[in-house]
Amino acid sequence: MAKNIHEIRDPIHNFIRLDSNERKVLDSRPFQRLRYIHQLGLTYLLYPGATHRRFEHSLGVMELASRVYDVITNPANIFHDTVRDEVPPLDSFKHQYWRQVLRMAALCHDIGHLPFSHAAEKELLPEGWNHERLTLEIIRSAEMESIWKEIKITSDDVAKLAVGPKYFREIYFSNWEAILSEIITGNSFGVDRMDYLLRDSHHAGVAYGKFDHYRLIDTLRILPKEEDGSIEPVLGIEEGGLHTAESLLLARYFMYTQLYFHSIRRIYDIHLQDFLKEWLPEGYFPTALLDHLQLNDNTILTELFKAADDVTLNGHDPARRIVNREHFKLLYQRNPRDVNENPDSAKAVFKAACDKFGENNVRKDNYKQGGNGHEFPVITEDNQIFSSLELSDTLKNVPIVAVDYVFINPELYQDAVKWKKENIQTIILLRKEENHE
Amino acid sequence: MNRLQCDVVILSLIDNLKEKGSWCGETHIQKATYFLQKLFNIPLGFEFILYKHGPFSFDLSDELTAMRADMLIRLQPQPRPYGPSLVPSNGSESIKKHFSSTLKKYDRNIQFVANKFRNRGVSELERLATALYVTQEINPNGSSEFRAQCITELKPHINMIEARAAVKEVDEIIIESQEPK
Repeated sequence: MAKNIHEIRDPIHNFIRLDSNERKVLDSRPFQRLRYIHQLGLTYLLYPGATHRRFEHSLGVMELASRVYDVITNPANIFHDTVRDEVPPLDSFKHQYWRQVLRMAALCHDIGHLPFSHAAEKELLPEGWNHERLTLEIIRSAEMESIWKEIKITSDDVAKLAVGPKYFREIYFSNWEAILSEIITGNSFGVDRMDYLLRDSHHAGVAYGKFDHYRLIDTLRILPKEEDGSIEPVLGIEEGGLHTAESLLLARYFMYTQLYFHSIRRIYDIHLQDFLKEWLPEGYFPTALLDHLQLNDNTILTELFKAADDVTLNGHDPARRIVNREHFKLLYQRNPRDVNENPDSAKAVFKAACDKFGENNVRKDNYKQGGNGHEFPVITEDNQIFSSLELSDTLKNVPIVAVDYVFINPELYQDAVKWKKENIQTIILLRKEENHE
Repeated sequence: MNRLQCDVVILSLIDNLKEKGSWCGETHIQKATYFLQKLFNIPLGFEFILYKHGPFSFDLSDELTAMRADMLIRLQPQPRPYGPSLVPSNGSESIKKHFSSTLKKYDRNIQFVANKFRNRGVSELERLATALYVTQEINPNGSSEFRAQCITELKPHINMIEARAAVKEVDEIIIESQEPK
């Protein structure tokens, strides 16, 4: 007889348990593919331990989502009538249904990821596509539909929670659905982020991403977020958990600046993107599901190594830069003084460097943190609700992650550094002609 | 319009809203920007969806955070029941000077929206912006009653009386925005 509960060993959460129905999702081809997608792309070229995959991260997100759900729906943790009305009673069918949907949405939230995760996403999908849309398509595919039917949940509910309102725009989210999707993808307390910070930190061998997630989850609550006459139930925290929330958001800041946006990691991503642009038919990843499912890191790496060794193959130059570790070097990165002169200083440097050294010898990278994860409601011991920004000077001052890099061909590096030193002030000057539209 | 030009329009909107008495939280800026884009076709390029509390743009939300990173605006916490205000930072002045012709071009439109929004609360803005969304994007030819009904179906927490008032006011705002100055 089949075992009802299956246990999987995990370096972050010890045991992750799932039942035989849920196991069908785990065993499906789209989910198994995640065993061959590196969580951090080519980061292992800098941090050799970072070879973990989307597969175990997805299991971790499911585990944490269940823990959060059990805490926030516990009647002892619900303080306001406005919130009580939104939460299904414990042991009701609705309570069990949404717990199941949440677990499956958490398990599948990354199911549409491209090879090497985020490394080559934006430039390499046709207009209107991203990995969230691929996730939606897979969740609603015939193969997955038959599994949802057996589990007795609907694909639309799973899809909604898996990608959230930002990417599932055509469907209305009720307050309850918005809270559940916030559990997975939320800016402040999303378990996707909690798991990747802990897991990436563990595998990369850096301590920046660690925080007391046990305490944090135990103190999460659904709280009314009031704003001048408008009330909206959202994820908030008990005052006792505020410091762990601070450490989560600081962990995010440090991991982004020290690991995810390490300049060498980013230039490897750019070289990979250059390789894929040349290697993929018409320069784009396929969006037809069967074709998408056939591509993973292993299939791409095989082609990358071939191209690195053969000058006649498409993508030879970027492939050899990755394989032989002859990546472009960092020429410029944003700094407060330059940004004060010109918020787009890196763009100006990139343009000038292209003019001087040729487009083929210059690359740029840009990222700015989105959303606002530092503001959430906090309930004090005497049941008053405050904004986190009123109670925490730390949260008020967590810097926004912003990265702007310009890279140069290593053969031109010395000349380029000299050129930059001599011309930087003129280059970044906002010119009057930019006034014209 | 490039990114910095969009930023100066947002900065000017914030300045004008504050000057006219708004405490200028993100919701105010979201709804005012929506009106600016829709009423005057200012090419800011933000994609709005009908979210829990009316039209909302994730792109704009990200841009406001990016503007904080670029030291153009900063958060100023407010006591409950107000969320944090967004206020211009020191870096905003020089950028506004550099893009003075953009500001001049849209100044009248910005003033118009800021005047309409001045010291309104978040719930009121939600109703008005939803009424504009329904009027322009769902039922452009629908009667007032039909559009009000549509609002209450999309947003069950808005009652029919509030919905009718919002549709009436939005119709007036649309006409006024089209009047030659």
